[in-house]
Amino acid sequence: MDIISQLQEQANTIAALAFNTFGTLQRDAPPVRLSPNYPEPPANPTEDAANVAEQPKLMSAALVKAAKQFDALVAALPLSEGGEDAQLKRISELQVENDAVGQELQRQLEAAEKELKQVQELFSQAADNCLNLKKPD
Amino acid sequence: MAATATYPPPPPYYKLYKDYTQNPKSAPEPPPPIEGTYVLFGSSYTTDDVLPSLEEQGVRQLYPKGPNIDFKNELRSLNRELQLHILELTDVLIERPSQYARRVEEISLIFKNLHHLLNSLRPHQARATLIHILELQIQRRKQAVEDIKRRREEAQKLLKEALGTLDGH
Repeated sequence: MDIISQLQEQANTIAALAFNTFGTLQRDAPPVRLSPNYPEPPANPTEDAANVAEQPKLMSAALVKAAKQFDALVAALPLSEGGEDAQLKRISELQVENDAVGQELQRQLEAAEKELKQVQELFSQAADNCLNLKKPD
Repeated sequence: MAATATYPPPPPYYKLYKDYTQNPKSAPEPPPPIEGTYVLFGSSYTTDDVLPSLEEQGVRQLYPKGPNIDFKNELRSLNRELQLHILELTDVLIERPSQYARRVEEISLIFKNLHHLLNSLRPHQARATLIHILELQIQRRKQAVEDIKRRREEAQKLLKEALGTLDGH
């Protein structure tokens, strides 16, 4: 995939990781005590305590890794300096050169085809002579 | 089998082309290509395919405007801003959870800017691809010229040799 598409994909990946992170944390966070009037919420050990503590670490590590990957891709961008004008100038130079080489090719091709016709003519004459189709001069 | 509508009949212009084989000029010309905006199946399209700027889409532009934008640095700084805003969002969710909306909006703003910047790199990529293709074509043509010259010389050599053997015979 070309690098700009990779960058776009990486940006979308960062977005997906971000909302997955928030969604998972919000879903799995254990309840917290809001006010001293209400009793301590029951600590349901449905989710393993280790799991609940590990997930933010893993997900944030993945997020940071994705961001670093994005930076690496940005560094790999082959942006040539000079901007639009330099590119357009180069394109017109290349077009001129392309035309010149194309005409040279055309000339060579025509000369080669002419020689081919001559050789074919010679062959047909030689073949006719061999087969004695024409009276020799 | 469900009842479906029949296909619409072909447009009646075909009668005008009855004598096309005898006289191509007796039938009407095809319509000229459309320029500007046109309406197709109720929605309007434009023939001028240009990336609309962010202001036209109602989105604030975070990176500086100007003729030459330093894409790499802007992309990197936008990436850093994004990470910062994600951290801010986590903090807001811990302390003042009801104020998430503004942070989420800012994060989506950064993403829109990011994608717009990437999209504006596409014309540059197109020109670079064109340059690459032209260079390849020039190289192939030069190679073909060399090949033809070589073959012609070989053919000349063979003909001379053949002539030599014939004369010597």
